[in-house]
Amino acid sequence: MRDVFSTYHPVVNFAYFTAMLLFSMIFMHPVFQVIALISALAYSVLLKGKSAVKFHTLYMLPLLLFMAVINPAFNHAGVTILFYLKSGNPVTLESILFGAAAACMFVTVIVWFSCYNAVMTSDKFIYLFGKILPSLSLIFSMVLRFVPRYITQMKVISSAQKCIGRDISQGNVVQRARNGIKILSIMTTWALENAIETADSMKSRGYGLRGRTSYSIFRLDRRDRIMLALMSTFIAFVLIGAVMGENTIRFFPSVKMSGITPMSIAVYTAYFLLCMVPVLVTIVEGIKWKFIVSKM
Amino acid sequence: MEVYRIENVSFAFPGQKRKALSHIDLTIQSGEFITLCGKSGCGKSTLLRQLKTVLRPHGEREGIVYFGGRHLDEADQRTQASKIGFVLQNPDNQIVTDKVWHELAFGLESLGVDPSSIRLRVAEMASFFGIQAWYHRSVSELSGGQKQLLNLASIMAMNPSVLILDEPTSQLDPIAAADFLETVKRINRDLGTTVVITEHRLEELLSISDRLIVMEEGRIIADETPVKAGEMLHAMNHAMFKAMPSPMQIAAGMGGEGAFPVTVKEGRQWLDALLGDNPREYHEELKEADGKKEPAARPAIAFKDVWFKYEKHGPDVIKDLSFEVQEGQFYCIVGGNGTGKTTTLSLISGMHKPYRGKVHISGKNPAKMPSRELFNQYLGVLPQNPQTLFVKKTVEEDLYEMLSGTGMTNEEKAEKVGVVVDFAELAPLLAMHPYDLSGGEQQRAALAKVLLLEPKILLLDEPTKGLDGFFKEKLAGLLKKLNAAGVTIVMVSHDIEFCAKHGEICAMFFDGSMITSDSAKAFFAGNSFYTTAANRMARHRWSEAVTIEDVIERCKATSLQASV
Repeated sequence: MRDVFSTYHPVVNFAYFTAMLLFSMIFMHPVFQVIALISALAYSVLLKGKSAVKFHTLYMLPLLLFMAVINPAFNHAGVTILFYLKSGNPVTLESILFGAAAACMFVTVIVWFSCYNAVMTSDKFIYLFGKILPSLSLIFSMVLRFVPRYITQMKVISSAQKCIGRDISQGNVVQRARNGIKILSIMTTWALENAIETADSMKSRGYGLRGRTSYSIFRLDRRDRIMLALMSTFIAFVLIGAVMGENTIRFFPSVKMSGITPMSIAVYTAYFLLCMVPVLVTIVEGIKWKFIVSKM
Repeated sequence: MEVYRIENVSFAFPGQKRKALSHIDLTIQSGEFITLCGKSGCGKSTLLRQLKTVLRPHGEREGIVYFGGRHLDEADQRTQASKIGFVLQNPDNQIVTDKVWHELAFGLESLGVDPSSIRLRVAEMASFFGIQAWYHRSVSELSGGQKQLLNLASIMAMNPSVLILDEPTSQLDPIAAADFLETVKRINRDLGTTVVITEHRLEELLSISDRLIVMEEGRIIADETPVKAGEMLHAMNHAMFKAMPSPMQIAAGMGGEGAFPVTVKEGRQWLDALLGDNPREYHEELKEADGKKEPAARPAIAFKDVWFKYEKHGPDVIKDLSFEVQEGQFYCIVGGNGTGKTTTLSLISGMHKPYRGKVHISGKNPAKMPSRELFNQYLGVLPQNPQTLFVKKTVEEDLYEMLSGTGMTNEEKAEKVGVVVDFAELAPLLAMHPYDLSGGEQQRAALAKVLLLEPKILLLDEPTKGLDGFFKEKLAGLLKKLNAAGVTIVMVSHDIEFCAKHGEICAMFFDGSMITSDSAKAFFAGNSFYTTAANRMARHRWSEAVTIEDVIERCKATSLQASV
């Protein structure tokens, strides 16, 4: 399925991921953690399909179990002692719960980051930073242009040198090192020489004149504004919950968290909706599409 | 209205007595299409760079350049940036940003145009140039031709009144170059933009050029309509006449009465007028002896049912390729882009291994030979970009570097270097930095480096790319000398004219395999489209006349017969 959320304005994407990363790191309440983990997993599966499922079961699940198990073996704080280890250290219920919560948080953050990478492409990132520092965004853009170019050229030089028997894969260790340095030296000369023409091209197109503007293909339209408003509302709800102490949990010395009340349920719902925004918009659009097609 | 008026401009680079430009007087009218030609180093680029102040090289300058009636030095940078568009030689070097859309907008951003106007202009340009399809792509995914088109579009987005192009197609293959020049023509024709261009590919430009300006050693020696300029060059018996289109050279070779033909079409009409409605076709059998040497006991290079692909699940790049190159042959491989020509070279040099079939050079598998054995006194490869070989500060040090670690005494080294320096005519260039040489000189220096390894087989990848006619001839001379000394040469090229003139065997690549191969004459005589301009012009009379000399010779013979 095509992800709809990544077609929103970069500001929307960025705000969403910032909120998600911060919230899933700060709010350790079990309900919050479960919501965040499920949403992150759902979104990553939506974005990457089968490969995400494979990744989660192969790497994330073992990581989660490992971290949950390792914590009580080293952390002996807490008042509810379950049993004693051979070394004489106690294993406590609190440390087991904390281990599970920490592992869950860790995995959630990793999964969020993988989604972030898929959605926030370099040009979106550049665009956002260009809003703050226009010259920095141009530098970013130029770096992204030149790194692949230099890598290609490096290969060209290396294969040319190979054909005169002077590549890093040829000769003994000393020769290889020498050849490597030689290739770097050719590369440097080449880069400097060619940069002159790039500079000419930039100057020729007026680079350095006063009042440079920054163009982008992104536009903050009505859809983006509505989405921002919606997300702000949810975030406000969650923050109110945070102020009221609904979102946190205390593990040591004994577990303590706020119980379930109508207010807490409202906060949970807001958080759930916020986390599921990308998945929900995609599903809604999918249904709409089916509906339109069936009408035609 | 005049766009430029150049009055008595002279220029010398710092520390050099010789003037790169001397007393240039030139007026360029609005909407004109002007082609500038001349040997490498004649001052073409220097002259073009005088037309925009930010691109002017340092040095001593005299005289005045007027732009739109005003002193160019007084025109502010903003006006110059937008009104004078400049496209440089190398497509890659001119691109600054990573995305196509950003590159299109770069100039407008610099000028401080507001984003909504940029949106409009970029959209217009993308539509005019047909860029929409790759508007969102990264520039690193584009082909050379697309990159140069992008450079042109990003300059046209600033809406310049004059477009200056400095050998824009020298790094492109013929198809991409023709495409690019076609777009330049369209800009001139449909938008009325003044165009000043320097080019080696005159065949495609002269038919639409209003004026052809020929330069030599910093001076303008002809400034006329293309036909007249051609006549002047011919009358002067000038070396640059060799760069003119084949029909013009053929007409001149026949004594040249009336206006010279410029295009193939005009050439055909001229030929028909010359020979009259004489239906007597002049067919001669190709001499059988030609090109049919006794096959040697062991071919220098042999491919047998070779298949190759770069990735496991990737497409086959080479499909069922079988051919043999005999010892001492000059073998040319021609064909379009991406048909597997360069890949074939990499298979010969053992860089890649086929996944099916066999590659043998002199009976051995190159991929299994140790590099010391393979590349010393055996196989020499001249890369497409000679700059990738240079490591030292001067040409001389660079040549000596090749012999380091061979255990030769200094005298032996000096002797060997002396021989290749004489051979490649590098003596005046020895103290220079390799990057300061012109394209043709770099090529010769790189060839000299490779020759120090004394190869028996020489592989060349597009050796004529970006060279002008003079340097091509020089290169051809060197290659022929090597060939005569027994070196087997395999050359991959887009340059049909060069292959026709100098190659011994020509082979055409298509879709990963060799479609046909034959002696150069028979090969081009058998093609009806993929052949030289001279052949296309004269093939309705003599299909086997491939080079300019062939056509002239047959013309003379026929008119002699007619007069007898």
